[in-house]
Amino acid sequence: MSLELQQFLAGYLAEVEEHLSSSTQKLNAIDASARGGQANPHAVRELFRSLHTIKGLSAMVGVEPVVALAHEMESLLRAADRAGGALSQEAVDAISDGVRAIERQVRAIAAGQEVPTAPAGLVERLAALQAMTPAPAASATTLLTLPADVAAKLSAAEQAQLAQGVATGKRAVRVDFVPTPSRAATGLNITTVRDRVGRVAELVKVYPVSLPKSDAAPGGLGFALIALYDGDDDALRDAAGADAVVPLSTAAAPAAVEAVEFESTRGGSRLVRVDVARLDDAMEKLSSLVVNRFRLTRAIAAMRESGTDVRALADIMNENGRQLRDLRAAIMRARMVPMAELLERIPLLVRGLERATGKRVNLTVDAGRAELDKAVAERLFPAIVHLVRNAVDHAIETPEERVRAGKPEIGRVEVTCWERGNNQLELTVSDDGRGVDRARVAARAGRAIADTPEALLEVLTAPGFSTRERASTTSGRGLGMDIVKRIAVDELGGELHLSTTPGGGTQFSVRVPLTITIVDAFSFLAGRQPFVVPVTMVEEIVEIEESKAVRGPQMARRGTQIRVYERRGEPVPIVALDELFAIPRVDELAPAKAMVVRRHGAPFAFAVHRMLGQQEVVVRPLEDPLVKVPGVTGSTDLGDGRATLVLDLWALSSQLAEARA
Amino acid sequence: MTTGALHVLFRVGDTDYVLPAGDVLQMESFDGATPVPGTAGYVAGLVQVRGRVVPVVDLRARFGLPPVAHTIDTRVVVVQSAERTVGLLVDSAREVVQLPPDALKPPPAVVASAGNGFVKAVAQTGKRLVMLIDFARVIGEQE
Repeated sequence: MSLELQQFLAGYLAEVEEHLSSSTQKLNAIDASARGGQANPHAVRELFRSLHTIKGLSAMVGVEPVVALAHEMESLLRAADRAGGALSQEAVDAISDGVRAIERQVRAIAAGQEVPTAPAGLVERLAALQAMTPAPAASATTLLTLPADVAAKLSAAEQAQLAQGVATGKRAVRVDFVPTPSRAATGLNITTVRDRVGRVAELVKVYPVSLPKSDAAPGGLGFALIALYDGDDDALRDAAGADAVVPLSTAAAPAAVEAVEFESTRGGSRLVRVDVARLDDAMEKLSSLVVNRFRLTRAIAAMRESGTDVRALADIMNENGRQLRDLRAAIMRARMVPMAELLERIPLLVRGLERATGKRVNLTVDAGRAELDKAVAERLFPAIVHLVRNAVDHAIETPEERVRAGKPEIGRVEVTCWERGNNQLELTVSDDGRGVDRARVAARAGRAIADTPEALLEVLTAPGFSTRERASTTSGRGLGMDIVKRIAVDELGGELHLSTTPGGGTQFSVRVPLTITIVDAFSFLAGRQPFVVPVTMVEEIVEIEESKAVRGPQMARRGTQIRVYERRGEPVPIVALDELFAIPRVDELAPAKAMVVRRHGAPFAFAVHRMLGQQEVVVRPLEDPLVKVPGVTGSTDLGDGRATLVLDLWALSSQLAEARA
Repeated sequence: MTTGALHVLFRVGDTDYVLPAGDVLQMESFDGATPVPGTAGYVAGLVQVRGRVVPVVDLRARFGLPPVAHTIDTRVVVVQSAERTVGLLVDSAREVVQLPPDALKPPPAVVASAGNGFVKAVAQTGKRLVMLIDFARVIGEQE
């Protein structure tokens, strides 16, 4: 990938991820329809569009393996679309394998690794299925009598889609829209109208219509939107901001449900997509408000000491504190994603596992209305995949075994989650499989295990532990339980619990905080103690040259010296962080590096002993009053199992600048 | 046969203290805490216990005793009160005792004042006199 394209990578990854997620949704819908013996031409076309977009984007950044795979899948879907939108079970499976393969490829791109090619045989499988797709069957697609001008614009599959929609009680309608400059000024154009119609109705086709030039149609151009709809025409016209709604088929929908339908679909129109960076920016601005509050509190304390009556101010400050907390909660809330969305890939995963293992599983996913911070969700997902995979691959028995044990032939796997009171999400993965065999685990681990679930879990989550003699293709050699623990407990600061009954089933429950903060941070040593600071706070890292430093006035508090050094003609106050924090200095070694921060235009430098590196860290806020001090925002784990402080150098510099003034 | 509530017994200096076992989440060996600059002198710092970041109060410092070197007996007793979870750094902790409710008596005036108000009650168990700690006061909820 060329350097120039590198900058598009973040955008590419975000967009492809979105289309992959939508592909999965559509595949689930197609799969569900197929099981009911029905085609789902609408979902097939949407899936086609998503893959087409993925292909186009990937070609732009030059990721050949993704382009090749997406192309084959797209071709198969196009053939299916022409044939009325029917996909065989084999085709659904092959496309679902393809989506997973692209997911893996995209993950590799994100991680900066070499992009793997598609699994052997997958491209050939897709091509073979395409060849097997029947040619369009003319007789099946003429179920609806359409006006000739409309019929001429629609493909066989689109006509079939309309016919099928009408058969299920919807009406085929044509929505007319003519763009004008005055409408464009109010934000009404074909794109917004298309979106609006798409939200309340099933959009089948949009095509331009040429019109005689007039005041009403200054561009000499209009659009016809062909859709399936079961509501009131006027409501559709108003909602879409369109000119007219023309019925193409007779009404079949009862009028009573319209209002409700409309209400629920209108909710969608209030959604906006926001870059997480913008929310982080809002949070950043909020934290400067909090810092300001510290200053205000100190100023009020000083007034109180000098005998001023500050009772009225105290009330305002309390109110202000509450408001800041509410604002923080509101911003955090905006970062949440529905768990239902995260878990929608699980059914496909289980279907794949069923095929690979020959087991049969009835999966229930109940995400309720639970929501989780996007950052937590992304980190948690691999753990959920491990747990589900283990349930199907290890816990659920083969149909024969189950019948012998007097159980229903089809196993049961349940994924459930809900929000707990204390800002935590609880997610459970349970099965009615064979349960964990304690004796076998003990034998495998080579030691006795105390008769508690905790002791058993500890052995299961030891790195690389496996009860399998040989690696299986689906779960591999390890159970991956060490990964589950690392993610849930070490990384996210949550909990992992196990309960298991021999022969009866197993349940894993994971508790994680609803929100976490992840920052790109520099790690460094002050004296011997490691710290981290968000990269965004640091303007520059410089070498300290003793000769340029000028000794400054002694600071009153803590006896820390603030010196001044000159940088490009600008005087920069500098303090040694180990001195400020009273960390014992090793061998009187002076700090060698300094991090320059700038607040309200004024630079300030913090001298440290050694820069260690740069990495993304999960910040756990420090809430306990015992350790809530300005300048320290939280704690993180750099991988050594110890707490490392996350510093707010801006707050520290403001504080020091004030003390100096 | 004694019945009564289970209490965790731990030692700081020459004195035995207790806390209701139901309030104690776990007891961990101690290999140093991460100091947090700008906190009170009796805050030893932060430790990570099973994925949780917990502030640790050094009870020797809190009770005004001179510091000693940490040994293999040194423990962090992780205690949960209503909303807070705090570790208490103690010289050793290895026993659980049962104290009937009526065994707990208000502390004699001399103990109360010597204990800086950190002792809520005293109890006799066997030959030993043990002090029930006022956890809320220890973690600074009421000075």
